[in-house]
Amino acid sequence: MKLTGKVWKFPQHDISTGLIRRQMYNHLPPQEQGKHCMEALDPSFASKVAPGDFIVAGTNFGCGSSTPAHYSIAALGIPAIIAESFGALFFSNCAGGALWPVACPGILDLVETGDTLEIDTDTLVVRNVGSARSLQGRALPEIYRGMILAGGEKPYLRERLRREAAG
Amino acid sequence: MAGMHALHKIIANRTRPSLAKVSPGEFVEIEPDVFGVIVGVNASDVKRLAADLEELGIDRIPLRDRIYAVADHASPAPTVAIAGAQKAFREFFKAHGIRTFDGGAGVSHLVLCEEGLVRPGMLGIAIDSHAPTMGAIGMYACSLGGGRLTLYAIGRYVIEVPKVTLVRVTGTLPPGVAGRDASLYVNGKLGQRGAYNHAVEFAGSFIESLSMDMRFTFTNMGTEMGAVASYIQPDRTTLEWVRQRTSEPFTVFETDADYVYDTVHEVDVSGIGPQIAVPHAPDDVRPVDEVAGRKVDQAYIGSCASGRLEDMAETARVLKGRKVHPDVRLIVTPGSREVLKAATELGYIQVMHEANAIVTSANCGACPGLHGGILGPGDVAITSITRNFEGRMGPGGEIYLASPATVAASAIAGCITNPLAA
Repeated sequence: MKLTGKVWKFPQHDISTGLIRRQMYNHLPPQEQGKHCMEALDPSFASKVAPGDFIVAGTNFGCGSSTPAHYSIAALGIPAIIAESFGALFFSNCAGGALWPVACPGILDLVETGDTLEIDTDTLVVRNVGSARSLQGRALPEIYRGMILAGGEKPYLRERLRREAAG
Repeated sequence: MAGMHALHKIIANRTRPSLAKVSPGEFVEIEPDVFGVIVGVNASDVKRLAADLEELGIDRIPLRDRIYAVADHASPAPTVAIAGAQKAFREFFKAHGIRTFDGGAGVSHLVLCEEGLVRPGMLGIAIDSHAPTMGAIGMYACSLGGGRLTLYAIGRYVIEVPKVTLVRVTGTLPPGVAGRDASLYVNGKLGQRGAYNHAVEFAGSFIESLSMDMRFTFTNMGTEMGAVASYIQPDRTTLEWVRQRTSEPFTVFETDADYVYDTVHEVDVSGIGPQIAVPHAPDDVRPVDEVAGRKVDQAYIGSCASGRLEDMAETARVLKGRKVHPDVRLIVTPGSREVLKAATELGYIQVMHEANAIVTSANCGACPGLHGGILGPGDVAITSITRNFEGRMGPGGEIYLASPATVAASAIAGCITNPLAA
């Protein structure tokens, strides 16, 4: 499957989950958290971004607290985050929330904000449509891949329970 | 064949189906010995969890006897919304027979260790990025990322078997310099990604010399090096501490002599002075003297990094017979009820009251910016908390990290102060 969307680039390293979605919004329903997504770094981000767009980020994106900051990203209809690398807790949170976390060393040099990016979710090859340059993203573990393809942790689990009950 | 690290043996022991050996980079499914959860702050979160379990047909949670819920974040509740969420969580836990520690018990991973509910050789998962703190007792303790529903529904969790970074700490500290100073110094040396996605083991003569309280400080701050788990091999200090708390049996796993660490760091802490991490990174660590004189609005002592009895003792030692500066609010939040009770019996809390400190019940307090000392825009805080990321204690606040002694000395002076010079 191929995903195509516009890039919003946050080139900083070590963007914590508290900057992705401030802790003070943790109590809000997941959909409402979208309004505050990345507001600490770009207060107008939520009003500019469109469903299908991507976040591109630097090293250790989503470090820090295990708080489910990915809710705010999913709420905006962003299907994938492409970063130089991820914080481990945020990375697995994304998979459970059916967001593609694509670790892709070199991504900061491949695209700028406004560029169109294409992600092949089968191969995790990431391509800048304008320049036609591409990079190979890191393979996802099968279990996370399965969760994302199933639509998140719950559908994945439903299928697994059905399979295990069938023996 | 290369040997195994103790952490890899602990993980292998809990793999399902059971594996004799695990290797770094593998994703394996495990059944934890203990699962620590929080009485959360989001009502829709627990409602969805309950609905999801019902939809999946899960009436009885398989791990219910080893799930422990702790109301540590934002407890007692600071807002109506959070009060409602905590009520919903408590009802959920009660309905499923899950033991709950309510507000005032302390920070989840302190409580689990102090109550003897986790022991050496165990594998524990907790919903808190500082869960690796529990590795000080010689267990594999990691934070829950994605996978909560799976853990509740079928008692399984996926772990990427980590490589292990060894941090060997040697040397002795000058009088008046604390374990937290040494811990900050090590974080500064290794950096925020110094053990990125690895487990970190702390060893060496300095670590061996530490009390359990200060060992917990080191393993806690492993998280701020990007580590997924922290570990200290159990020794006599560990075993005495654990046996005071539980008579349950446990297994101490040993690292094979021929195990090869992925990375080894040697850090000598001899002769260091008080250390401080400046905004906004826990690895931007300098001698306190470099920023001495910076005016502070709030001083805060507590958190899972430095909320233990030794930290309370240091605080009282510095505060004794003095008063907090009138322009500063000093807030002390003990890490657990055990700490608060002991600090009360030993007279430390009275010293704090005499100094005009604000002493709160035991919990996560102001550290995650949810209650009990939220910073306003432009507020400068000197604290003993875990991390000083931008906005952590409130948007627009600036956070310095230091030892309890440095925080207390700064609270008295009204500005950042080297406690040795005060």
